Amino acid sequence: MSKPIIQAVDLCYSYSLDEGREIRALDNLSLKIFEGEHVCLIGPNGSGKSTLARHLNALLLPAAGEVYVDGLLTALEEHCWEIRRRVGLVFQNPDNQIVATTVEEDVAFGPENLGVDPPLIRQRVAASLALVGLSDMARHAPHLLSGGQKQRLAIAGILAMRPRCLVLDEPTAMLDPRGRREVLATMRMLNRQEGVTVIHITHFMEETLEADRIIVMDRGRIACSGSPAEIFGGKIDLEPIGIDLPVIPALVRALRVGGLAVPSHILNVDQLVNYLC
Amino acid sequence: MSGMRSITLGHYLPGNSLLHRLDPRAKLLSLLIIITALFLVNTFYGMLFFVFFLLAAFLSTKLPWRYFLRGLKPVLYIVLFTLVLHVLFTKGGQVFWRFGALTIEERGVYLGLFMTLRLILLVVTTLLITLTTSPIAFADGIEFLLRPLRFLRVPGHEIAMMMTIALRFIPTLMEESDKIRKAQMARGADFESGNVFRRAHSLVPLLVPLFVSAFRRADDLAVAMESRCYRGGENRTKMRQQQITPLDYLGVFTACGIAAAIVFTGV
Amino acid sequence: MSGTPFQVAALKRVTMSISSGEFVGIIGETGSGKSTLVQHFNGLLKPAGGEVLFEGKNIWTGEMNLRELRSRVALLFQFPEHQLFEETVFADVSFGPRNLGLSGNELEERVRFGLECMGLDFGVFKDRSPFQLSGGEKRRVAMAGILAMRPQVVILDEPTAGMDPLGRRQFMEQVSRLHREEKLTVILVTHNMEEVALLAERLFVFYHGEMLLQGRPADVFGADSLIKGTGLEIPPLSELLQRLCRQGKGVRTDIFTVNEAAQEILQLYRKECV
Repeated sequence: MSKPIIQAVDLCYSYSLDEGREIRALDNLSLKIFEGEHVCLIGPNGSGKSTLARHLNALLLPAAGEVYVDGLLTALEEHCWEIRRRVGLVFQNPDNQIVATTVEEDVAFGPENLGVDPPLIRQRVAASLALVGLSDMARHAPHLLSGGQKQRLAIAGILAMRPRCLVLDEPTAMLDPRGRREVLATMRMLNRQEGVTVIHITHFMEETLEADRIIVMDRGRIACSGSPAEIFGGKIDLEPIGIDLPVIPALVRALRVGGLAVPSHILNVDQLVNYLC
Repeated sequence: MSGMRSITLGHYLPGNSLLHRLDPRAKLLSLLIIITALFLVNTFYGMLFFVFFLLAAFLSTKLPWRYFLRGLKPVLYIVLFTLVLHVLFTKGGQVFWRFGALTIEERGVYLGLFMTLRLILLVVTTLLITLTTSPIAFADGIEFLLRPLRFLRVPGHEIAMMMTIALRFIPTLMEESDKIRKAQMARGADFESGNVFRRAHSLVPLLVPLFVSAFRRADDLAVAMESRCYRGGENRTKMRQQQITPLDYLGVFTACGIAAAIVFTGV
Repeated sequence: MSGTPFQVAALKRVTMSISSGEFVGIIGETGSGKSTLVQHFNGLLKPAGGEVLFEGKNIWTGEMNLRELRSRVALLFQFPEHQLFEETVFADVSFGPRNLGLSGNELEERVRFGLECMGLDFGVFKDRSPFQLSGGEKRRVAMAGILAMRPQVVILDEPTAGMDPLGRRQFMEQVSRLHREEKLTVILVTHNMEEVALLAERLFVFYHGEMLLQGRPADVFGADSLIKGTGLEIPPLSELLQRLCRQGKGVRTDIFTVNEAAQEILQLYRKECV
């Protein structure tokens, strides 16, 4: 069993609103994520997913409880920058993550901040751009890129810092189908080929079906966790949490209710067609 | 808006001429020196020398005329205004023309032409630099030149960073302002008709959302930068390495030489 | 923008018509020209060639007032919450009607109508600042601002972009209700296939500035290789039913809800078992 690369222990965090009210965003949350996993984090609006993501790279610090990243405690100031090197965060808005006036300059931003030697920065920039498939756009201005390309640029910028873990907070929410496919393919490749731990927060249930594990959040806590087949297979009732099943698992459930004994591990069109024919 | 493919400071045009290849720091330094010298010149002969010098520099860049003409357009009004002011109201020397109370006199014509020429040369010199220096190189040059001012608490790195980010977001913000404009027009907003006050007021539905959006972007960007370990200019390296070549020293010395010649000969 | 070096034909010889009271979908990738197209419908963009007719009249010949056109053909841009600017929700929603010259009681009626159509309580929201609302609420205020102009046609450019599933469902339910109750003509520009399959009577598929295909959702999604060739996807249910058909199972392919699909497949198996 590989060691946990991310660990939260009884994590608590609250936001205060204007009228003196407080919202408990994270409520005694504990979880472990292991190296090399591809985890999808799902949950209704307000369940605390984005708040949790920001704890994983020490952007936010726990009000109570602890968060360990690769063994380092996030609450300790001296660990902060090393943690941010090891855990990269990709956000929802493709534009508002790009700092520089050309693609390669932006990828270099991270290593520059780390004080990496300039010749080495060049190497890393070239390697990262090649990994995400943006090598021929190296000299382009960012506003000329499509949404999917911008998100891949954001990922490249993080890869250049040699992270161990990539956390993506709804990276496809503002993209069209092609952009979404590009980003998902990149994530999958980085996980399978490069061994990067991937934590993917999303609203699109369809995107979770190829993950190793799905973690369901509800009102600041972990409601359940398991493989996609376990979560969507019908044994767990997701309705009270406010999560819809992806289309094919929903169809499978309806078929089972109607008397057809479709196996609950069927999650996509291919598998269902194969079963039905 | 689709014509603005790459917005740059004074319209940078990539190329391989001598000026293009000079280090931006050398260029900026020389620019400062030449501009100072332009203000110290006293005679037409000195001015003529500058004209030849800048013409030679311009020809070496192999850039088309029209970019310089386009760059001069904004100052056209100031230049004409200066010329007319001097020609009509500066008195002295031989009178060339009289119409009632108005006169055109020798000194007026001389000063008018002199000042006009100085203005034009100032703009041309600046254009020579901005047309041959990419915005990033520009920002780098400024950062370097501001570094000695650190002792005076001038945040050189931060200023350069702000310039780079502003340049990066100009096309994005322009697209957004276009979108906001159209969205408000779709709700019946009218940005075209009415007097100055009315038109200024009609800009509120355009400017407020733009500002709000800009602040939001700044917020998001700050978080993204921190996530990538940005902590200011300390211990930061740069991928872009500018090499100082003998050519750069030559450029700066030439500029110094010219300035010195002007000062000591009083030309 | 003709004559400049950056001229790109965003739309090429597009001919289409939409009838009053229809609910149509315009689908295509980013860059397919769909947003450019709909901006011609309310006179925000002028065609370089060809005509745009509203109720049979060319909108550019001068007999039609463009401002009036925009009040009857309303356009909601993508991420419309970014256009809010007034100090109160009332003021922002009333911006459109005010530009049309309305005031007093009639103005208040319009604002009330707009807010209530989007499920926002007039009394609760009218004095609140738009900037302190949640993302979903802001978007609904923006939509209310469009509805307050009492348009006949509503064009929605990716109205549910960036929303969570629950928000998306609620928003589209409200749109669907408006279509039925107020007899609005709705033009939905989107690349969310499931959304548009369920609600639209007719679809127009755009690619590289050209209209490739138009027809009922079932027919359009039937041309799945063509659709996929444009970078789009077809709804998973359509994909499933079409593939079952190709394998020889006689199922209908014009089904877009899970329950109906389940019924159809169960029927198939009951027949086969017998």
